[in-house]
Amino acid sequence: MTLRALFLRLRAIVRRSRAEAELGEELQFHIEQETALLQSRGIPPAEARRQALVAFGGLEHTKEQYRDGRGDRWLTDLRSDLVFAFRLLRRNPSLTATVVLTLSVGIGASVAIFSAVNAVVLRPLPVSEPDRLVALWEDNADKGWVRQSSAPANMLDWSERVRAFDGVTAWADYDARPVLSGSGDPQALHGAEVMGNFFDVLRGGMTLGRGFAPDAHWLPAPRQVVVSHRFWQRQFGSDTAIIGRTLVLDRESAEVVGVAGPEFRIPAPDVDVWYPMRWDRADRQQVWFRRAHWLRPVARLRAETNVETASAELQRVMGAMEREYPETNVNMKAGLGPLHDYLVGDRRQPLVFLLASTGLLLLIGCANVANLLLVRAAAREQEVVVRRALGADRSRVVRQALTESMVLAVLGAAGGWLVGLWGTRMFGAWQPVGMLPVTDRRPDGWVFLFVVGVAALSAVVFGTAPALWVARRDAADALRSSTRMSSDNRRARRLVNTLAIGEVALAVTLTIGAGLLLRSYQQLANVDPGFEADGVASAFLAVGGTRYEVRAQRMTFVSDLLTRVRTLPGVESAAISSAIPFVAAGYTSDFSIRGRPADQAGREVRHRSVTDDYFRTMKVPLLAGRVFGPEDTPTSEPVTIINKALADRYFGNEDPIGQYIAGDLVPDSTSIWRRVVGVVGNERGRIVSQPAGIELTGPYSQEAMTGVYLVVRTSGDPANLLRSVARTISEIDPLLAPITLTTMPRMRSEAMARDRFMALLLAAFAAIGALLAVIGVYGVVAQAAQRREPELAIRLALGARPRHLHWLVLRHGLSVAALGAALGAAAAMAGSGVIRTMLFNTSRMDPAVYAVVVLLVLGAAAIASWLPAHRVVRERRGRSLSR
Amino acid sequence: MPPTESDVLRGTLDLLILKVLLRESMHGWAVSQRIQERSRGVLDVNQGSLYPALQRLEHRGLLLSEWRTTDTNRRARYYTLTAAGKKAVVAETNSWRRYVTAIELILETP
Repeated sequence: MTLRALFLRLRAIVRRSRAEAELGEELQFHIEQETALLQSRGIPPAEARRQALVAFGGLEHTKEQYRDGRGDRWLTDLRSDLVFAFRLLRRNPSLTATVVLTLSVGIGASVAIFSAVNAVVLRPLPVSEPDRLVALWEDNADKGWVRQSSAPANMLDWSERVRAFDGVTAWADYDARPVLSGSGDPQALHGAEVMGNFFDVLRGGMTLGRGFAPDAHWLPAPRQVVVSHRFWQRQFGSDTAIIGRTLVLDRESAEVVGVAGPEFRIPAPDVDVWYPMRWDRADRQQVWFRRAHWLRPVARLRAETNVETASAELQRVMGAMEREYPETNVNMKAGLGPLHDYLVGDRRQPLVFLLASTGLLLLIGCANVANLLLVRAAAREQEVVVRRALGADRSRVVRQALTESMVLAVLGAAGGWLVGLWGTRMFGAWQPVGMLPVTDRRPDGWVFLFVVGVAALSAVVFGTAPALWVARRDAADALRSSTRMSSDNRRARRLVNTLAIGEVALAVTLTIGAGLLLRSYQQLANVDPGFEADGVASAFLAVGGTRYEVRAQRMTFVSDLLTRVRTLPGVESAAISSAIPFVAAGYTSDFSIRGRPADQAGREVRHRSVTDDYFRTMKVPLLAGRVFGPEDTPTSEPVTIINKALADRYFGNEDPIGQYIAGDLVPDSTSIWRRVVGVVGNERGRIVSQPAGIELTGPYSQEAMTGVYLVVRTSGDPANLLRSVARTISEIDPLLAPITLTTMPRMRSEAMARDRFMALLLAAFAAIGALLAVIGVYGVVAQAAQRREPELAIRLALGARPRHLHWLVLRHGLSVAALGAALGAAAAMAGSGVIRTMLFNTSRMDPAVYAVVVLLVLGAAAIASWLPAHRVVRERRGRSLSR
Repeated sequence: MPPTESDVLRGTLDLLILKVLLRESMHGWAVSQRIQERSRGVLDVNQGSLYPALQRLEHRGLLLSEWRTTDTNRRARYYTLTAAGKKAVVAETNSWRRYVTAIELILETP
């Protein structure tokens, strides 16, 4: 088509009334000229005009040809199809509303979840060339380490020896909580301790200022911070004069040198401030610098290299280091992978799983809509037949049916977009902490494309069946259809049944998935954590910095705090511990038991220290020996209490009391041997679903760590205690803000929040899916019952019992539901592998869940089928045969 | 022998229209009249198919159309050949001649 033709056609489309008028005028002129010519030959005017028209040969026909020639026939058709579709939809508002609502919910749920997947998993990191950033980690089969944090000396070696790396930086792998003071109440921020070159390697782009000097992590470095964009807005009202100002963090001044880019949130979404680590250059030669693992290194790959090459080189370097540092690096391996994948971590699987679930939900919705449209199409058979008889060709009729589906899909997509926006917000508001680490979840172009794609796909899924059905009609059906016995009608009925079976199957699959998650959550909620959480309040304090540099200062603070807290009303007991259940805290090391050969050394024991009353406060049972008391002082014999897990694994039938343990793989003269004085029950760690690990607990007086948890048991509601605990702390030290202040039941609830969220969300999807499926069964049965009404009437008249008639109708619905349930249960069994890792103490074949779901669905289907049966029988009873 | 009217051979109508318009611009009715006259009444253009043909040629860029007033002061749509249209007349004429010659050759062969 030439440009000119395109222009003419476009003009014709845009100015169609004018084009029509011109066409009329041109042809009119022709007829008049012809008439005048004939009249000039003596033919009377009326006859002349008639002959002229005859000679022209069908004015309207020419016009139609001319219109076809404009090439916008499809547009005219589309317009009339659209008008027709809208008229039909308006005439049947309840059907339209049902369809649009079903699609809106299905599409909306998908959109909400996809927005999350898009923001968390798909959207690239907000740094330049994010694909070149890799996370580095250490693996150690001996210690059971997989993707563990790295030792600083190893990391520094990599940065110097692996040539594929353009730069290596790192952040500290612990949640630093510096306390900001100097402006209003002191508040605990989220901090990230990083190396000086952090912003240079990541290249996230700064809103203001700059990152740190590349060697800022080496002493003596000036104290500096980069603040996050969010913190800058919140705390400083986006003041551009912030650069150069000082913040007081943990009682020390630090200069603000930069404001990070708005989306830059590495390593964690809640970071408020980044500040350099403070290492002594002399540390590099120390053994501990290679033994302690607490860094998360990130490398930027050179342009000419790739992940495989870099990985191979890293392996070579690490192999050499194994030989060079036998004291620390034996069997120490390293690995790397895309930074984005590492940061997304285990958030991907639940999101993708939820997305798949919404896909199932949408599919159920589409099947439902297809069924409704099919039933309606069958009811409109006469219309289609008449249109075919009047000369509409098959493609026109099918196109009309598809247009209708398209209109419904567009309406559904619009509704789905709204539901999706709302759902995205709700998802963000209700999400368990950390599930969606990205705060910007606003739908972008990809989400829009997703909606368009999903809506189009839905239209194909639910529009195909009615369109195919329409395509099979032809004019000859007009005769047959009146008998209501055409084979096509039977085929349509079979299609309707199949769709209903499919719907039930999908709903059963989805519901079984939800059931398994709910059961798993129930198991999780019933886990005995090894202590009594009810009635306990806890506060996390960082007793560090200049004011608490000396152990005696920390000891004084702690005893002062405990004395005061114990006098608060309702308090039964209070204690301090460096680690409590549900949080990641404490450190791990190898250990050895005195008198045992070196190859029996233990691995990965967790250390903590507690004050005397800890076990009583937490109600952790003492199984043997004693707890700590006033006799354990900084200068008395070092003692320790082991937990049951350690006693079972390393002592068996031996009595651990009185034995000695040191926290070293190979004890030497510097090792501290601690005498075991007691055995206590196991407390679960950070992850409730995992069994307790082995643990060594020392007296706080002998190991006065700086990060401590205050635990307080009260006879009342611990939530009521929080305020007075905070007040007590600030009375002792106004600059010491509790970093966390909460209750143990709440901590437990938060520890299970993700499991609960997943189970409830999936249960909601399953409930909607099941409801749709039951509606589908109802529709099929009701339609069949109506069709069989004459037959039922005859049976009734001949003396059949109503109960028998009920059964006739009910049987149909139940067979659809039973077949669907069987298929759905089979599909759930086959597909339950994907859910396995999300289940705790629950078999993916859990018979109770399968049985309950199948019975529930059959029960619902029975009720849905009983209703139309009852209606037909009641209407017919006592009435004579009218048909 | 009285001249019998004959339908314009399919596909040749375009050539006839272009040829007629080669000398001057004219409106649709005049085109049909001119074809009839020049063929001495042998070719009777199906008037109904004339207009779609004119539209087709305009879309192909061989014609331009504009509204003008006739001698009798009526508004009518006049068609004019474009440069491309003029070239097309030559090309189509040549190809038509080749076609006719070929048919002749076959018919003359005993």
